[in-house]
Parts: sequence; structure tokens; C-alpha cells
Amino acid sequence: MALLDIKNLTLEISGSTGWMKALDKVNLRIEEGEIRALVGESGSGKSLIVRAIVGAIPDNWRITADRLTWRGRDLLTISRSERRKIMRSEIAVIFQNPVSSLDPSATLGEQLMESIPRQIVADTWFWQRRKKRLQIAIKLLHKVGIKDHQKYLHAYPHQIADDIAQKFLIACALVSSPQLLIADDPTRGMEITTKIQVLKLLSQLNKTRNLSILFVSHDLLAISSMANKMTVLYCGQTVEDGKMVQLRKRPLHPYTKALLDSAPSFRKDLPPKSPLTTLDGTIPTLQHLPIGCRLGPRCPRAQKECVKVPELRHVQDHFYSCHFPLIREKE
Amino acid sequence: MTTLLRVEDLEFKQKPKRGFFKKQSKFTLSKVSFELNAGETLAILGENGSGKSLLGKLLVGAEVPSGGHIYLNGQKLSPYNLKQRCLNIRMVFQHSNESLNPGINVAKILGNPLILNTKLNASERQKKIEDTLKLVGLLPDHMFFYRHMLSDGQRQRLALAKALILDPQVIVADEPFAALDPSVRSQTINLIMKLQKDLGLGFIFISHNLGIIRHISDRVLIMQDGNLVETGKTDVIFNWPKSEYTEKLIKSHQSLITPR
Repeated sequence: MALLDIKNLTLEISGSTGWMKALDKVNLRIEEGEIRALVGESGSGKSLIVRAIVGAIPDNWRITADRLTWRGRDLLTISRSERRKIMRSEIAVIFQNPVSSLDPSATLGEQLMESIPRQIVADTWFWQRRKKRLQIAIKLLHKVGIKDHQKYLHAYPHQIADDIAQKFLIACALVSSPQLLIADDPTRGMEITTKIQVLKLLSQLNKTRNLSILFVSHDLLAISSMANKMTVLYCGQTVEDGKMVQLRKRPLHPYTKALLDSAPSFRKDLPPKSPLTTLDGTIPTLQHLPIGCRLGPRCPRAQKECVKVPELRHVQDHFYSCHFPLIREKE
Repeated sequence: MTTLLRVEDLEFKQKPKRGFFKKQSKFTLSKVSFELNAGETLAILGENGSGKSLLGKLLVGAEVPSGGHIYLNGQKLSPYNLKQRCLNIRMVFQHSNESLNPGINVAKILGNPLILNTKLNASERQKKIEDTLKLVGLLPDHMFFYRHMLSDGQRQRLALAKALILDPQVIVADEPFAALDPSVRSQTINLIMKLQKDLGLGFIFISHNLGIIRHISDRVLIMQDGNLVETGKTDVIFNWPKSEYTEKLIKSHQSLITPR
């Protein structure tokens, strides 16, 4: 059974021009022990999906879905306290900007020890609990690769480097030994050596603890090195979904192809200083979304039919939604 | 090929601020020398805090170097003659969004450098602004727009227009591609390469993205802790790195590209 199963998730935001569909029938499925990448540019609704899963939804948003289940339990109908319990013990999230999502007025040690749930230290006397918490905290820090725990437990968030903060947040997320880790752009703005450390740590956790990871990012380089499966999102619509290897070798949707082509690192045959292939124009804003396939106005293969939303089709387990996919036509 | 920009033994020492209780933070940039030909691209690569942004600031004259000289077309640039400097070497900042004034429209954003640095009259300025906007792929109508009305890609184009409007010979860009989405990023890269070809600009940019560096730069300069580690032609550095640090960087980049 899938851990997290989302089918036809639609998220609407009320604005001055009525309800705007920020997410339009998104499908996402995470199996046990897999790393799934969620790729999209800014404004494509990646973070909205994360917030819909977590349940951090303001009053002026409306969520409808055919299915939004966590291990068979419907997240949309269960009570708030139960949902919070799931979020506390089974799903963990690390947010985009590591330094700013930590409390600036407390030391890292205090924050990490605070996040250790009471059940874990319940079998000790109350005067032993502080010590036990400290032990657990140190152990966790070692696990994520911070060796110098003395130095960092007493540091404040502004004193530490970005990658340490990121590792620290991963440690915080691992306290309750979750089954799913949602990482929202964990490698943003990092340089390559620290980026690799964080990526290695994540894939190690995936292997040793059988932790499923939802890796949200637009850094294709980072994603392709670790993810098993990939979902591509454009303007709140799922564009393509399938195994990483397959998608990289033969993308079926023009948008996926454009994304892959835009990274010069993937193309060894490209002569230096030659122009890169791009899509014209930019991502439309929420107020001016085109009807039908939202890539329509930018798509090189667009035709008349594209004003209708394409259905989800598939070739084996490779899903795509496009009227004119990049399949070589028979001659 | 003529040498456009020559930098000799440029160094920078932060002067400790006087005071009994202040901690003395010291950061030094040890001697850096390099050359840049017209129409060439130089990439600066290094960790956070390795002094690459500082080098960029020294080149545009935002910081005064404590030693060394910068020559432009064989002519020595004085560290205090900022007018001469900003006519020839212009900077593009990392966050194009924050470097644009939200309170004035595009015509004024582009017009102000012209008023301050040239003797053009109003109608000539108007024409220059229109030409520059067309050059970077925007429309003359964008003159009446404010910052918030432009998309990310358009802002980046505007930031580039702001740098180009004084017809500089060298452009220094501090992580121009980092904050951009993939599709907009390749548009910007194409634009810069086209402008460079047409105008013969020297382009110096600071970046983390080795894929892009490999694609567009002619030379690479690698820095670590304020020291120059290695410099040379791009394919030489990428294929036969000399120092350990460079090798580590390139290996880690390769490990990301090659599929498991």
C-alpha cells in the first residue's frame, strides 16, 4: 500500500477575481522506501502541495480531492488532533530556508531537546530526563554528520553556516523517527560540496532507515543524482510522472524536455557557448492562467486541441498529460 | 586579441576598527592577478566567504583596494575616480529584485545613471532608454512599468539593461543566475552570450553552478579563503585540475551528472 496517495487534488485561493485554481487535479503517490522528486519552477505550486499535505492551510484556501490519504486514512476528514498526531510522529518536514525556520532566540541545543517527544523519555525519573534528552540530541547530531556537538549545541542560529543548519533541521525531523520526510528545497543556494553532503545524508537515511523522501526542488542536478521517481509540475498541473531513468532518457512532455535541456551539465555533446534551447515567455501569474493545458502559449508543439485540458495517459508506468507527446510517430 | 582588463596584484586588507572592546575581524584578499580579453568571459568560483564577491566589488570600485592596480585598455584606473570607473565597468547584482527601486518606474531607473554620468538631453536620453530596452528583449512600452509589474525574467533583463545603458566595456555579475528558474535562466544565458557577441563585452561572473561555468566561460578563476587557488582556460581546468580543491569540486560535479 502506498504511504501517501493523492488523487485529483485541487486547491483554490480566493482573491479579488474570484476563486483561482492554484493546483489543478494533481496526482502524487509515494510508496514505502522510495525517494520521489517533485520538480517545478517557482509558482508551480510545489510548496502548496507540501502545505496541503501538512495541513497548514489558511481560511481563504479551499481544498478538494478525490483522495488524500496517509496509509489508508483520509487526511481531509479526520479530526484536527488526530491529524496533528500523524504530523508529529509519522511525517516530518524540513522547510526551505534553514536558518530562518529556526528560533533565533534559543540555542540549537534547546531547540533540539525541546523537539524530543515526552514518550521517549517517559520511562526515566524526572531528574534524569534532561540528561537523557541531551544524550539523544548528541546521538542525533552524530547521525546527521555533525561531529563537533559541543560547539553547535550552544550556538545560536545566526552563528552557524547554512549547511550545518540544514543538517540540524534534518536531525530535528528525525527525532520522532518518521516514515516520510518532506524536504522542501533542501539544497537551495548551497555550494556544490555541501550540497553533496546533504544529498548523501538523505539517501543514506533512505537506505538505512527505509525512510521515504519527498524531495521538492527545481535543482535537476541534485534530483537526478538521488531520486527514484519524479513528478514534474507546471503551474499547478502535473505534467509528467514516472521513473527518473526513463524520464531522463525519454521525456514525453515538451515541458520536461525543455527543463532537462536547460541544464547544460546534462548535455555532453553541446559545444561551449552555443545557445541553449529554451521555451519562450515566462511562467504566467495566478491571475492570468491560460485555459486548457497551461503550457499552451509557450509550447512549441501547441495546436488547437490544447485549449482543452489533456487527460492523463500512460505508457506502462510512465504518466503524462499532453495531446501531442514527444513519441516518435510511425512513418 | 587585445587585453581589455588587466588586474595586477590586487589585494585587500580589512582595517581593524579602533575600539577597546571591539573584536578585530580580519579578512584579507591576497594578491590576485588576471587578464581579460574583449569578448571573453571569466568565471569566479569559490566557497562562501572565499572573497569572490569582494573581488567583484573591488573591480567595480565599491571597495578601495589596499594594493595593486587595475588597467583598462592599458590605462590605469584610479580607485577614487568613480565616474570613470562606472562608465566602463558595471555591475549586475545577485537579487535583481532588490536592486531595483520599487518607487520609480523603469524609465527613471534607467534614466538616473544617464543623468548622473552623461551630458545627454531629455530626448536623447529617451531614445537611449528605448534602444537599451530593445537590446535586452523588452519593449519600449515597459518604460512606464514599475518593478512589481515585471516578471522574474523581465527583472533580470532590466537589471542587465541598467548595467548596459552606459555602454560599458566590462560587466561584473554577482551570481546572476542563482535566483532564477531553469527556463528563465537559459533565456538569460542566451541573452548574455548574444550581447557579448554583438557588443564585444568582457563579462566577469561569480557562480556556483559548474555546468553553466563550463558552458559559457573562457577562463575560470578559483578562490579559497581569500587566496587565488588556480586560474586558467575552462577546459584545461575541468580536465586537468592542478590543485586538490579544484579536483574535489569537479569530481563532485561529475558525480552528480553521471547517473547511478
